[in-house]
Amino acid sequence: MEKHWRIKRGADIRLAGLPDPAVRTAAPPARYHIFPNEAPGVRPRLNVRAGDRVRRGSPLVHDKLRPAFQWCSPAAGTVERIVLGPRRRLEQIVIAPDGTDEAESFGACAAAAVRGLGRDAVLEKLQRSGLLALLRQRPFSKLPDPAATPKSLFVNGMNTAPFQCDLAAAVRGAEPAFQAGLDALANLTPGPVHLCLPGGRADLPPALTQAKNARVHYFSGPHPAGNTSVHIHHIDAISPGDTVWTVRGADVVLIGELFLSGKLPTHRVVALGGPGVRPDACAHYRIRLGADLSALLAGRLAEGEQRVIGGDALAGTKLDPAGGLRLQDSAITVVPEGRERFLLGWMAPGFDRFSLSRLYPSTWLFRRKRWAHTTSLNGSPRAMVATGVYDRYVPMKIMTDYLIRAILAHDTDEAVQLGLLETDPEDFALPAFACLSKMDLMGIVRAGLEEVEREGL
Amino acid sequence: MKFVLEFMEKHVRPLFLPGGWLHKLYPVYEAGDTFLFTPPDVTPGPPHVRDALDLKRYMITVCLALAPCILFGIFNAGYQYNTVNQVAEAGFLQHVTRGAWIVLPIIFVSYAVGGFWEVLFAVVRKHEINEGFLVTGMLFPLTLPPTIPLWQVALGISFGVVIGKEIFGGTGFNVLNPALTARCFLYFAYPAQISGDKVWTVLKDPAHVIEGFTGATALAVAKAAPAGVHILDSLRAAGFTWPRVFFGLEPGSIGETSAFCALLGAVVLILSGVGAWRTMAGGALGLAATMALVNRLPIADQLPAAALPFWYEMAMGGVAFGIIFMATDPVSSAATNAGKWIYGFLIGFLTIVIRLFNPAFTAGNMLAILFCNVLAPLIDHLVVQTHLAARRRHLRAFRHA
Repeated sequence: MEKHWRIKRGADIRLAGLPDPAVRTAAPPARYHIFPNEAPGVRPRLNVRAGDRVRRGSPLVHDKLRPAFQWCSPAAGTVERIVLGPRRRLEQIVIAPDGTDEAESFGACAAAAVRGLGRDAVLEKLQRSGLLALLRQRPFSKLPDPAATPKSLFVNGMNTAPFQCDLAAAVRGAEPAFQAGLDALANLTPGPVHLCLPGGRADLPPALTQAKNARVHYFSGPHPAGNTSVHIHHIDAISPGDTVWTVRGADVVLIGELFLSGKLPTHRVVALGGPGVRPDACAHYRIRLGADLSALLAGRLAEGEQRVIGGDALAGTKLDPAGGLRLQDSAITVVPEGRERFLLGWMAPGFDRFSLSRLYPSTWLFRRKRWAHTTSLNGSPRAMVATGVYDRYVPMKIMTDYLIRAILAHDTDEAVQLGLLETDPEDFALPAFACLSKMDLMGIVRAGLEEVEREGL
Repeated sequence: MKFVLEFMEKHVRPLFLPGGWLHKLYPVYEAGDTFLFTPPDVTPGPPHVRDALDLKRYMITVCLALAPCILFGIFNAGYQYNTVNQVAEAGFLQHVTRGAWIVLPIIFVSYAVGGFWEVLFAVVRKHEINEGFLVTGMLFPLTLPPTIPLWQVALGISFGVVIGKEIFGGTGFNVLNPALTARCFLYFAYPAQISGDKVWTVLKDPAHVIEGFTGATALAVAKAAPAGVHILDSLRAAGFTWPRVFFGLEPGSIGETSAFCALLGAVVLILSGVGAWRTMAGGALGLAATMALVNRLPIADQLPAAALPFWYEMAMGGVAFGIIFMATDPVSSAATNAGKWIYGFLIGFLTIVIRLFNPAFTAGNMLAILFCNVLAPLIDHLVVQTHLAARRRHLRAFRHA
């Protein structure tokens, strides 16, 4: 049974540079990158040395805590560099391709047989190929623990944040792989797989709307209607002690390709957008996994100092433009750095500045406009003064002000009661955007989740 | 304006940086610098983009909403002076200049002395100067009578800023509204000047005033109304009709006499989303409901003021100003939406109770707000407990599913 949830609270910040849903092809990269730390909680140990020859799918790194989980090379070639950061922390491995594209096999599987593989076989293959890093376990948004049994699994097929990959674009041409991915994921939980799709869109392919082995739900409304926490809250809320696994729709395609071909997938679709991208270059690109970012960005950025963000402009991570695409990145948003200073900003009318509050004329006048936001903080950090602002952007039964205060007071019991476990730092990106005291709400929530996880429930 | 920025960066900023001889006063430079130009800071991490609104603009909006009260307060102070002292041929211009002469020193002292404490604490604590003081420093003088001695203004704002706010950690951490704390201090320390017993109109020569002048405010008249006479007749005899108390051309504290100007401010606060409309609506409702109830009690014989309609109560004294500007202070008020309704309602209720049923004070709004400031965390606690019960029900529904 399909259900349509209409989310009222929230807001779209209408960032300029919306990626066109058409999929273009990006240039083949000169180098490939693997970032073993992108999956939270992994303690990487190297299997290779610089100069070693690897094939696509060869394990480069395994996890010290659970050796079954390993990171594999996205291409065949030689290990060119192993980059260590502060305290000799492994930061990335750079592969120089040799053009052969030989691949390791993880064992192919017929499309009809994927659903019947069983939990252990699916988990084993996901861990060995490293694609388990695409899944997250709630609460705490950590790498799934194979010993845990999730009560359900959520597939997020939405892109309300500015910007995320459009699932319809990612699935086009890869419909069998998407279905195979859903079939594989259905093995992981005794409960249902929930596929959450944007409501009110006529262009969704039947591969999504009529997906098998999944329950389809529709969500509509402003951001964060597309956040997984909102979906879980409405469909199958987490109580303390529950476990739910989550995955993003665009990543299901990769998992499906792994099972159908038995080899590590090569390409994925990445959305490129934002005010820092040339308007004619805002689109979806088919690009090699782990590719150099320059393969995607060269010649496509606007003039000036830009910030390259893996993910969306609200909750994404700042990337090194000289580095590569992380496994989890299905969107790259580029925003100009805003170090410019304006005269008397507290008093100037500000027709060209965007605000969710009603204190700028632009809010009243240009409701349909798309805004070229910069990374300017637009103020200085202050103590929490205004109340009731955050709750307007959190469409869950959560009193955000009190949750934040409980975390700041290290009152973990109260924070858990107030719903901390139902959230992820990304849910507080929009309240933090709107916060006029410029507080680091995402950092506070991240610290709170870590504290609860450390101390136990 | 670019050369100003370059000049500041090049020649002024180094003086305040470590090693510069003004380094200790860096918060002062920072405040002036970011007052002139928006700060150059970029977001350190996610969210990578931020709303254009900051606390500066937010607080300035409150000052903007106060403008009608300030301007009318200046005019009224001059008007009262010229009328009572029978200044010949005094027109609009004379009222305004006389009023400015009376009021501006009070505002100036409030800002100068309060600002001194604010800067001192910022320097000692090494944090940035908070814009909240712009509002406190303006609200406080508006609650004072035009006759207040300037040394009392200085003493009051010092108490309000230091004891009411800074010892808790500054704006955002205070329990009580700092402006009202300041006024409350004067109210109990120097009741002669501020509790309404003395004449609140500046007198040139007490021997020569207009005939029949008592200087009593509408609230004082209502309080002292003789039994047996209808309260509205007593008020009318003293010259207080509803339009007069509503528009505020009467003796009283500088910014509080005109409920009309306060309402103009409320429109700005509500349209801009800066002021909590729930608190204001709750306050009006609490006042009206309590007064309607009191009207029905058979006590008008002994207590004539109990027969006063609620629209008089709303227009008289500082209650409109208090509910619109003081009660809505986001830091000291209730923080939850439901809590704001309850908090506002309680303020309205307590204002009437204090006005009518205590023998000492004519005005009750200040004490009602301060009392509810103290109660606000308790109100919020109850709202949060109700919310937690609703959350548990929500979660339980999924456990059985």
